[in-house]
Amino acid sequence: MKEDQFKNRLEIAKKKQLKKKLYKDDQPISSVGIAFKMSTELVAHVVVGTIIGFILDKTFDSKPWLILIFFFLGVISGIANVFRSAKSMQK
Amino acid sequence: MATNPMHQFEVYRIGPEIKLGEVDLSFTNASLFMVISLITILLIFNLGSKKNSLIPNKIQLLAELSYGFVSKMISDTAGSKAKPYFSFIFSLFMFVLFLNMFGMVPYSFTVTSHIIVTFVLATFIFVGVTIIGFIKHGAGYLKLFVPSGVPIVLLPLIVLIEIISYLSRPISLSVRLFANMMAGHTMMKVFGGFVISLGIVGGWLPLSFSVALTGLEILVAFLQAYVFAILTCIYLNDALNLHH
Repeated sequence: MKEDQFKNRLEIAKKKQLKKKLYKDDQPISSVGIAFKMSTELVAHVVVGTIIGFILDKTFDSKPWLILIFFFLGVISGIANVFRSAKSMQK
Repeated sequence: MATNPMHQFEVYRIGPEIKLGEVDLSFTNASLFMVISLITILLIFNLGSKKNSLIPNKIQLLAELSYGFVSKMISDTAGSKAKPYFSFIFSLFMFVLFLNMFGMVPYSFTVTSHIIVTFVLATFIFVGVTIIGFIKHGAGYLKLFVPSGVPIVLLPLIVLIEIISYLSRPISLSVRLFANMMAGHTMMKVFGGFVISLGIVGGWLPLSFSVALTGLEILVAFLQAYVFAILTCIYLNDALNLHH
Protein backbone atom coordinates (compact mmCIF):
# COMPACT_ATOMS: atom_id res chain seq x y z
CA MET A 1 0.00 0.00 0.00
CA LYS A 2 2.65 2.43 1.05
CA GLU A 3 4.86 1.44 -1.82
CA ASP A 4 2.02 2.14 -4.21
CA GLN A 5 1.53 5.60 -2.81
CA PHE A 6 5.20 6.29 -3.08
CA LYS A 7 5.31 5.14 -6.67
CA ASN A 8 2.36 7.37 -7.47
CA ARG A 9 4.01 10.39 -5.94
CA LEU A 10 7.27 9.65 -7.70
CA GLU A 11 5.44 9.48 -11.00
CA ILE A 12 3.80 12.85 -10.41
CA ALA A 13 7.07 14.44 -9.35
CA LYS A 14 8.82 13.09 -12.42
CA LYS A 15 6.13 14.48 -14.68
CA LYS A 16 6.41 17.89 -13.03
CA GLN A 17 10.16 17.89 -13.48
CA LEU A 18 9.84 16.99 -17.14
CA LYS A 19 7.35 19.77 -17.75
CA LYS A 20 9.58 22.32 -16.06
CA LYS A 21 12.58 21.22 -18.04
CA LEU A 22 10.77 21.34 -21.37
CA TYR A 23 9.47 24.78 -20.58
CA LYS A 24 12.86 26.09 -19.61
CA ASP A 25 14.74 24.60 -22.54
CA ASP A 26 12.32 25.45 -25.29
CA GLN A 27 10.76 28.73 -24.39
CA PRO A 28 13.12 31.61 -25.11
CA ILE A 29 14.67 30.54 -28.39
CA SER A 30 11.70 28.93 -30.08
CA SER A 31 9.34 31.82 -29.34
CA VAL A 32 11.57 34.18 -31.30
CA GLY A 33 11.65 31.50 -33.98
CA ILE A 34 7.86 31.36 -34.03
CA ALA A 35 7.69 35.13 -34.39
CA PHE A 36 9.93 34.97 -37.48
CA LYS A 37 7.97 31.99 -38.79
CA MET A 38 4.54 33.61 -38.52
CA SER A 39 5.51 36.95 -40.02
CA THR A 40 7.02 35.48 -43.16
CA GLU A 41 4.37 32.82 -43.60
CA LEU A 42 1.58 35.37 -43.66
CA VAL A 43 3.29 37.11 -46.58
CA ALA A 44 4.31 33.91 -48.35
CA HIS A 45 0.77 32.57 -48.46
CA VAL A 46 -0.50 35.75 -50.13
CA VAL A 47 2.37 35.69 -52.62
CA VAL A 48 1.82 32.05 -53.53
CA GLY A 49 -1.93 32.59 -53.93
CA THR A 50 -1.30 35.51 -56.26
CA ILE A 51 1.25 33.58 -58.31
CA ILE A 52 -1.14 30.64 -58.75
CA GLY A 53 -3.87 33.05 -59.82
CA PHE A 54 -1.52 34.73 -62.29
CA ILE A 55 -0.49 31.43 -63.87
CA LEU A 56 -4.08 30.16 -64.10
CA ASP A 57 -5.15 33.48 -65.61
CA LYS A 58 -2.52 33.12 -68.31
CA THR A 59 -3.51 29.55 -69.18
CA PHE A 60 -7.28 30.14 -69.19
CA ASP A 61 -7.06 33.68 -70.58
CA SER A 62 -9.49 35.08 -68.00
CA LYS A 63 -7.41 38.08 -67.13
CA PRO A 64 -8.45 39.73 -63.88
CA TRP A 65 -10.76 37.19 -62.24
CA LEU A 66 -8.68 34.23 -61.14
CA ILE A 67 -5.85 36.41 -59.84
CA LEU A 68 -8.39 38.26 -57.69
CA ILE A 69 -9.95 35.07 -56.36
CA PHE A 70 -6.63 33.44 -55.60
CA PHE A 71 -5.24 36.58 -54.00
CA PHE A 72 -8.08 36.51 -51.48
CA LEU A 73 -7.70 32.75 -51.05
CA GLY A 74 -4.04 33.40 -50.21
CA VAL A 75 -5.04 36.03 -47.66
CA ILE A 76 -7.55 33.62 -46.08
CA SER A 77 -5.00 30.83 -45.98
CA GLY A 78 -2.36 33.10 -44.47
CA ILE A 79 -4.64 34.31 -41.70
CA ALA A 80 -5.93 30.78 -41.05
CA ASN A 81 -2.33 29.63 -40.77
CA VAL A 82 -1.52 32.29 -38.18
CA PHE A 83 -4.57 31.23 -36.17
CA ARG A 84 -3.48 27.60 -36.41
CA SER A 85 0.05 28.35 -35.17
CA ALA A 86 -1.31 30.48 -32.35
CA LYS A 87 -3.62 27.65 -31.31
CA SER A 88 -0.83 25.08 -31.33
CA MET A 89 1.33 27.47 -29.30
CA GLN A 90 -1.26 27.63 -26.53
CA LYS A 91 -1.24 23.87 -26.01
CA MET B 1 31.17 53.07 -54.23
CA ALA B 2 32.38 51.75 -50.90
CA THR B 3 29.62 53.59 -49.03
CA ASN B 4 26.89 51.93 -51.07
CA PRO B 5 25.23 49.55 -48.58
CA MET B 6 24.32 47.10 -51.36
CA HIS B 7 27.90 46.85 -52.61
CA GLN B 8 28.65 44.02 -50.18
CA PHE B 9 26.17 41.71 -51.91
CA GLU B 10 27.82 41.86 -55.31
CA VAL B 11 28.91 38.54 -56.78
CA TYR B 12 32.10 38.70 -58.81
CA ARG B 13 34.26 36.17 -60.55
CA ILE B 14 37.47 34.84 -59.05
CA GLY B 15 39.92 33.28 -61.45
CA PRO B 16 39.21 32.22 -65.04
CA GLU B 17 35.86 32.20 -66.76
CA ILE B 18 34.36 28.73 -67.17
CA LYS B 19 31.47 28.33 -69.57
CA LEU B 20 29.48 25.19 -70.20
CA GLY B 21 27.41 26.04 -73.21
CA GLU B 22 25.20 28.92 -72.11
CA VAL B 23 25.70 28.29 -68.39
CA ASP B 24 28.30 30.33 -66.53
CA LEU B 25 30.12 28.01 -64.12
CA SER B 26 32.89 30.41 -63.04
CA PHE B 27 34.22 30.30 -59.52
CA THR B 28 32.81 33.34 -57.68
CA ASN B 29 33.21 34.83 -54.22
CA ALA B 30 29.95 33.07 -53.27
CA SER B 31 31.44 29.71 -54.20
CA LEU B 32 34.61 30.63 -52.33
CA PHE B 33 32.72 31.21 -49.09
CA MET B 34 30.72 28.03 -49.54
CA VAL B 35 33.97 26.10 -49.94
CA ILE B 36 35.51 27.84 -46.92
CA SER B 37 32.58 26.97 -44.66
CA LEU B 38 32.48 23.43 -46.00
CA ILE B 39 36.17 22.92 -45.24
CA THR B 40 35.77 24.44 -41.76
CA ILE B 41 32.88 22.11 -40.95
CA LEU B 42 34.80 19.09 -42.21
CA LEU B 43 37.90 20.09 -40.24
CA ILE B 44 36.01 20.68 -36.99
CA PHE B 45 34.14 17.40 -37.15
CA ASN B 46 37.13 15.38 -38.31
CA LEU B 47 39.36 16.72 -35.56
CA GLY B 48 36.50 16.53 -33.08
CA SER B 49 35.78 12.88 -33.68
CA LYS B 50 39.36 11.71 -34.12
CA LYS B 51 40.64 11.31 -30.58
CA ASN B 52 37.40 10.36 -28.86
CA SER B 53 38.79 10.81 -25.36
CA LEU B 54 36.70 10.54 -22.20
CA ILE B 55 37.53 14.10 -21.16
CA PRO B 56 36.89 16.05 -24.35
CA ASN B 57 39.09 18.86 -25.56
CA LYS B 58 37.48 22.00 -26.97
CA ILE B 59 36.98 20.84 -30.55
CA GLN B 60 35.57 17.50 -29.45
CA LEU B 61 33.24 19.31 -27.06
CA LEU B 62 32.05 21.56 -29.88
CA ALA B 63 31.38 18.60 -32.15
CA GLU B 64 29.59 16.63 -29.43
CA LEU B 65 27.49 19.57 -28.28
CA SER B 66 26.31 20.39 -31.79
CA TYR B 67 25.53 16.72 -32.40
CA GLY B 68 23.48 16.59 -29.21
CA PHE B 69 21.72 19.85 -30.02
CA VAL B 70 20.54 18.75 -33.45
CA SER B 71 19.69 15.25 -32.29
CA LYS B 72 17.51 16.64 -29.49
CA MET B 73 15.87 19.08 -31.88
CA ILE B 74 14.93 16.26 -34.26
CA SER B 75 13.58 13.93 -31.59
CA ASP B 76 11.56 16.78 -30.03
CA THR B 77 9.89 17.95 -33.21
CA ALA B 78 9.76 14.97 -35.57
CA GLY B 79 9.93 11.98 -33.22
CA SER B 80 12.00 8.81 -33.43
CA LYS B 81 10.90 8.05 -37.01
CA ALA B 82 13.00 10.95 -38.26
CA LYS B 83 16.27 9.46 -37.01
CA PRO B 84 17.36 8.22 -40.46
CA TYR B 85 17.26 11.80 -41.72
CA PHE B 86 19.58 13.05 -39.00
CA SER B 87 22.60 13.37 -41.28
CA PHE B 88 20.72 15.50 -43.77
CA ILE B 89 19.31 17.90 -41.18
CA PHE B 90 22.61 18.09 -39.35
CA SER B 91 24.58 19.00 -42.45
CA LEU B 92 21.89 21.47 -43.48
CA PHE B 93 21.96 23.19 -40.10
CA MET B 94 25.75 23.31 -39.98
CA PHE B 95 26.04 24.59 -43.54
CA VAL B 96 23.54 27.42 -43.04
CA LEU B 97 24.99 28.27 -39.64
CA PHE B 98 28.54 28.51 -40.95
CA LEU B 99 27.52 30.52 -44.01
CA ASN B 100 25.69 32.96 -41.73
CA MET B 101 28.55 33.15 -39.26
CA PHE B 102 31.23 33.64 -41.93
CA GLY B 103 29.09 36.47 -43.22
CA MET B 104 29.62 38.23 -39.89
CA VAL B 105 33.38 38.48 -40.46
CA PRO B 106 34.24 41.94 -41.82
CA TYR B 107 35.01 42.11 -45.58
CA SER B 108 33.50 38.67 -46.07
CA PHE B 109 30.56 37.70 -48.22
CA THR B 110 27.24 36.37 -46.93
CA VAL B 111 26.12 33.61 -49.26
CA THR B 112 22.71 33.23 -47.57
CA SER B 113 21.85 36.87 -48.37
CA HIS B 114 21.09 35.79 -51.94
CA ILE B 115 17.61 34.46 -52.45
CA ILE B 116 18.63 32.00 -55.13
CA VAL B 117 20.86 30.13 -52.65
CA THR B 118 18.20 29.88 -49.95
CA PHE B 119 15.50 29.12 -52.50
CA VAL B 120 17.46 26.20 -53.91
CA LEU B 121 17.99 24.82 -50.39
CA ALA B 122 14.29 25.23 -49.58
CA THR B 123 13.21 23.68 -52.89
CA PHE B 124 15.38 20.63 -52.24
CA ILE B 125 13.76 20.22 -48.83
CA PHE B 126 10.26 20.73 -50.25
CA VAL B 127 10.69 18.22 -53.07
CA GLY B 128 12.46 15.74 -50.81
CA VAL B 129 9.79 15.90 -48.11
CA THR B 130 7.02 15.50 -50.69
CA ILE B 131 8.75 12.44 -52.16
CA ILE B 132 9.25 10.94 -48.69
CA GLY B 133 5.58 11.55 -47.90
CA PHE B 134 4.43 9.77 -51.07
CA ILE B 135 6.83 6.87 -50.50
CA LYS B 136 5.66 6.36 -46.91
CA HIS B 137 1.93 6.81 -47.42
CA GLY B 138 1.32 6.38 -51.14
CA ALA B 139 -1.68 8.29 -52.40
CA GLY B 140 -2.82 8.59 -48.78
CA TYR B 141 -0.39 11.49 -48.45
CA LEU B 142 -2.99 13.60 -50.26
CA LYS B 143 -5.08 13.37 -47.08
CA LEU B 144 -2.82 16.16 -45.85
CA PHE B 145 -4.95 18.51 -47.93
CA VAL B 146 -8.26 17.24 -46.56
CA PRO B 147 -8.63 18.00 -42.86
CA SER B 148 -11.12 15.78 -41.06
CA GLY B 149 -14.43 17.12 -39.79
CA VAL B 150 -15.05 19.63 -42.55
CA PRO B 151 -18.56 19.91 -44.08
CA ILE B 152 -18.77 18.80 -47.71
CA VAL B 153 -19.89 22.24 -48.88
CA LEU B 154 -16.72 23.88 -47.64
CA LEU B 155 -14.39 21.11 -48.79
CA PRO B 156 -13.28 22.54 -52.18
CA LEU B 157 -12.44 25.86 -50.57
CA ILE B 158 -10.51 24.24 -47.73
CA VAL B 159 -8.57 22.01 -50.12
CA LEU B 160 -7.57 25.03 -52.20
CA ILE B 161 -6.46 26.86 -49.09
CA GLU B 162 -4.47 23.85 -47.90
CA ILE B 163 -2.77 23.52 -51.27
CA ILE B 164 -1.78 27.19 -51.18
CA SER B 165 -0.48 26.76 -47.68
CA TYR B 166 1.54 23.68 -48.73
CA LEU B 167 3.04 25.43 -51.75
CA SER B 168 3.99 28.47 -49.70
CA ARG B 169 6.42 26.41 -47.61
CA PRO B 170 9.53 26.76 -49.78
CA ILE B 171 8.85 30.46 -50.32
CA SER B 172 8.42 31.31 -46.66
CA LEU B 173 11.42 29.13 -45.76
CA SER B 174 13.73 30.79 -48.26
CA VAL B 175 12.47 34.37 -47.94
CA ARG B 176 12.83 34.28 -44.16
CA LEU B 177 16.51 33.38 -44.21
CA PHE B 178 17.36 35.65 -47.15
CA ALA B 179 15.46 38.69 -45.85
CA ASN B 180 16.89 38.47 -42.36
CA MET B 181 20.46 38.16 -43.54
CA MET B 182 20.20 40.86 -46.18
CA ALA B 183 18.31 43.36 -44.01
CA GLY B 184 20.73 42.92 -41.11
CA HIS B 185 23.84 43.34 -43.22
CA THR B 186 22.44 46.36 -45.05
CA MET B 187 21.52 47.99 -41.75
CA MET B 188 24.99 47.41 -40.36
CA LYS B 189 26.57 48.96 -43.42
CA VAL B 190 24.24 51.97 -43.24
CA PHE B 191 25.11 52.61 -39.61
CA GLY B 192 28.77 52.15 -40.44
CA GLY B 193 28.38 54.83 -43.11
CA PHE B 194 26.82 57.18 -40.54
CA VAL B 195 29.89 56.83 -38.33
CA ILE B 196 32.11 58.06 -41.16
CA SER B 197 29.86 60.90 -42.30
CA LEU B 198 29.15 62.28 -38.80
CA GLY B 199 32.83 62.24 -37.91
CA ILE B 200 34.41 62.34 -34.47
CA VAL B 201 31.75 64.67 -33.01
CA GLY B 202 28.49 62.88 -33.72
CA GLY B 203 29.75 59.49 -34.79
CA TRP B 204 29.65 57.90 -31.35
CA LEU B 205 25.93 57.24 -31.34
CA PRO B 206 25.84 55.25 -34.59
CA LEU B 207 29.05 53.53 -33.53
CA SER B 208 27.43 52.24 -30.35
CA PHE B 209 24.42 51.25 -32.42
CA SER B 210 26.71 49.32 -34.75
CA VAL B 211 28.20 47.41 -31.84
CA ALA B 212 24.76 46.48 -30.55
CA LEU B 213 23.65 45.52 -34.06
CA THR B 214 26.63 43.22 -34.45
CA GLY B 215 25.52 41.31 -31.36
CA LEU B 216 21.97 41.17 -32.66
CA GLU B 217 23.16 39.96 -36.04
CA ILE B 218 25.14 37.12 -34.50
CA LEU B 219 21.98 36.10 -32.65
CA VAL B 220 19.95 36.32 -35.88
CA ALA B 221 22.58 34.32 -37.78
CA PHE B 222 22.28 31.49 -35.29
CA LEU B 223 18.53 31.78 -34.94
CA GLN B 224 17.85 31.68 -38.66
CA ALA B 225 19.92 28.53 -39.08
CA TYR B 226 18.01 27.04 -36.16
CA VAL B 227 14.62 28.05 -37.57
CA PHE B 228 15.58 26.72 -41.00
CA ALA B 229 16.51 23.35 -39.52
CA ILE B 230 13.55 23.13 -37.14
CA LEU B 231 11.06 23.91 -39.91
CA THR B 232 12.64 21.16 -42.00
CA CYS B 233 12.00 18.86 -39.05
CA ILE B 234 8.38 20.02 -38.82
CA TYR B 235 7.78 19.43 -42.52
CA LEU B 236 9.44 16.03 -42.21
CA ASN B 237 7.18 15.28 -39.26
CA ASP B 238 4.13 16.07 -41.41
CA ALA B 239 5.39 13.67 -44.07
CA LEU B 240 6.31 10.85 -41.67
CA ASN B 241 3.47 10.95 -39.14
CA LEU B 242 0.41 11.83 -41.13
CA HIS B 243 -2.32 13.01 -38.78
CA HIS B 244 -5.02 15.60 -39.01
